[in-house]
Amino acid sequence: MVNHMVQQAVLDRVFAALSDPTRRGILVRLGQSPATVGELAEPTGMTLTGMKKHVQVLEDAGLVVTEKVGRSRQCRLSAAPLDEAMAWIGFYQRLWARRLDGLDAYFTLNPDPKGPAT
Amino acid sequence: MSLEMRMERRLPATPEQVFDAYTDAEKQKVWFSILDEEPGIVEIEVDLRVGGKQTAVWGPSPDALFRETQTFLEIDRPHRLVTESTGVSPDGMTMTTRIEISFEAAGDGTLMTVVQSGFPAPEIRDFFVAEVWAGALARIEAFVLREHADA
Repeated sequence: MVNHMVQQAVLDRVFAALSDPTRRGILVRLGQSPATVGELAEPTGMTLTGMKKHVQVLEDAGLVVTEKVGRSRQCRLSAAPLDEAMAWIGFYQRLWARRLDGLDAYFTLNPDPKGPAT
Repeated sequence: MSLEMRMERRLPATPEQVFDAYTDAEKQKVWFSILDEEPGIVEIEVDLRVGGKQTAVWGPSPDALFRETQTFLEIDRPHRLVTESTGVSPDGMTMTTRIEISFEAAGDGTLMTVVQSGFPAPEIRDFFVAEVWAGALARIEAFVLREHADA
């Protein structure tokens, strides 16, 4: 339950981060290549401080990771929020393959029309 | 746009037989492990009524157990079964989804179709697919992407 709530909180942060067009623009820009906060701010006409706030929101949501390089902060995309959903879907794919294979083997090995004895 | 996982299998038994084998706790223990080369841990409890729960716990060892609790939402023997599923991984992560299973007579067997939906973050994925990583998710072949008319 606690983990579920933590997960929901993470998703809430992701959705909040994506609700802003400036932040979506940052992600699109970082989809091309990593960039410093200054490089992200320049084409928008935004101040460094303003851009840092947006980057911080994206970082808190796990969508962006940043790293101090010299005097500037390098930003790049992170796939972490997607990875979690992908891991679960992969898990369920394997689970259903196991279930269907098991049912298939069960009926193939026990072809009694009244159903296999248990 | 929503994200689903869909699987289907034709089974050599009637829909009634498949439905009963799928939902009966004792039969589940048999077929769930029937192909295992090494014995693992499988515990299954079923309360087959709308609002009732099915709990399954399985894994290779006590410290690596998955737990899945399904709450029955619709029971229409032998045609259809709908549940809400909450899975818990050994590291404590949880995932709640919806599972719809249909059992259709097909020749002398049954076509069993499983659709699991409600995996979170489809909006995130849509955004990334559309604007950031076009095509990056194509490697996951078993997904069925359903587009709304306005998508």
